[in-house]
Amino acid sequence: MPRWLIAIGRLENLLISVFALALVVLAGLQIVLRLAENGLVWLDPVLRVLVLWVALLGALAAARHDKHISLDVLGRLLTGRLRRYARFVSLGFAAVIAALLCHASLGLIAVDRESGTLLAGAVPGWWAELILPVVFGLLTLRFLLRALIDLPPPTVPGAPP
Amino acid sequence: MSWLLGSVLLLLALLGAPLFALIAALAFLGMRAAGYDDTGVAAEFYRLTEMPVLIAIPLFTLAGYLLSESKAPQRLVRLTEALLGWLHGGLAIVALLACAIFTAFTGASGVTIVAIGGLLLPALQQARYPDRFSLGLITTSGSLGLLFVPSVPLILYGIVAQQMGTTPSVSIDDMFLAGILPGLLMIGVLAAYGMWKAPPRAHDQPFSGREARSAIWDARFELPLPLIVLGGVYGGYFAASEAAAVTAFYVLAVTVFIRREIAFAALPALIREAMMLVGAILLILGVSLALTNVIVDAEIPARLVRWVNAHVANKWTFLLLLNGFLIVLGMLLDIFSATVLVVPILLPIALHYGIHPVHLGIIFLANMQIGYFTPPVGMNLFIASYRFNTPVLALVRSCLPFFWLLLACVLLITYWPGLSLALL
Repeated sequence: MPRWLIAIGRLENLLISVFALALVVLAGLQIVLRLAENGLVWLDPVLRVLVLWVALLGALAAARHDKHISLDVLGRLLTGRLRRYARFVSLGFAAVIAALLCHASLGLIAVDRESGTLLAGAVPGWWAELILPVVFGLLTLRFLLRALIDLPPPTVPGAPP
Repeated sequence: MSWLLGSVLLLLALLGAPLFALIAALAFLGMRAAGYDDTGVAAEFYRLTEMPVLIAIPLFTLAGYLLSESKAPQRLVRLTEALLGWLHGGLAIVALLACAIFTAFTGASGVTIVAIGGLLLPALQQARYPDRFSLGLITTSGSLGLLFVPSVPLILYGIVAQQMGTTPSVSIDDMFLAGILPGLLMIGVLAAYGMWKAPPRAHDQPFSGREARSAIWDARFELPLPLIVLGGVYGGYFAASEAAAVTAFYVLAVTVFIRREIAFAALPALIREAMMLVGAILLILGVSLALTNVIVDAEIPARLVRWVNAHVANKWTFLLLLNGFLIVLGMLLDIFSATVLVVPILLPIALHYGIHPVHLGIIFLANMQIGYFTPPVGMNLFIASYRFNTPVLALVRSCLPFFWLLLACVLLITYWPGLSLALL
């Protein structure tokens, strides 16, 4: 596998870990603060956005590891060239849908930029939405790449089958 | 036209297209047919950030992955064995309890069979339990505990049902309470069967106070966990989402910093594994929010209610059909997709027949639970076949008695609402 793909994978792992750990720490902090007094008002919406960010980054990684939930009845039975065709069709379809989702979320951002809703404090709500087109855009590329080239999922030692 | 479309999507599904893409495709088509533009799908998807309880899913999933990578499974087995091993059939009961507790924390993802089953199968065989019984027990137990706090499917049902704004309403805490008695019923029935099938003088280790004390001490960091979750939520100290935060924080601190069973360097890959599952679930949940919106907008549930009402005479017939439908569904579809896709359609019909939404949730999950090992294509059959190097057909045969027993439990759970609703 080319070195730059491995580097991207490492970067993704790092980002997911940072966000997930932030989620754990901040959620814990909020409980402590709530028990002490009222908790931070702005932290709740931030936590909810953080959940989405972690999940979307996880979904991006899941595409790399072929871990998206699918029925995959025929795909498992097929071998050789037929399997390649099946992957081309199914992952190509996923790429098209991811592209549509990317386009739709750009539309959402445009709408919310206009309306000027706020996430918390003075932070505009659409900043938090930026993750949508970024992840769906990258998902499009990743599905397309995997539809065209037969990349095996990276092996993970100790992972459940 | 719609037949052609349906066949194309079905073919794509069979070829292995990700389910989220199929659901999103339907949502896009529905939005356009209703005259909205695509932005609506993104807006519905983004409603994921308006659900305060959703945070419980990544946090509990992370805790489950950390626990299964640590030595907690071994300690859990040792502890239950020290406490219950002296009973006739004790080892079978140990297996049931250990699997149920572990599945509750990891959400029947097959991890239980791999982590706990791998430990217990050799022990069962050594104690001369029949091979077929042992394999069946472990495979069946891979989804036992689905009804107990804090299993992610239980939380997910609560979230989806909450979105529907039913009367009476559904809260995550309600789901946590409702699962207890039905879950205990299943364990009780299987435990009785285990005692009956246990070989004479099976594994009759006398109870040892010293081993019990030592096993308790060994598990001192894991023992507070059920207390944090159960006591915190039922005692009213925490909301479900907060219990998730405390659990994740605590498990992270114990496994990485106190016990140091998970190396710091291994943490990113492990977190990534957990978040891939979370991402896969939430992606499906997000696009199905959009699809549900389309479906409700097109008044499909209302039409379905009228149709079912015209063909299904009463509540009992409906429940019987429901059981059959859900077992097949659980066999074919994973529990997360089944929940987000089917519950929004099922709930209005069930309400029409006067079924409590919390009771429906327990029926739904109990059926899904046996779908996991229903022949011929239940997922856990394949995981166990892979893990124990046994042909799937042999596993199917060993699971059959367990299947009938749990089916009886499911029927009881279905037709006796009080069992689920008594603790609310």
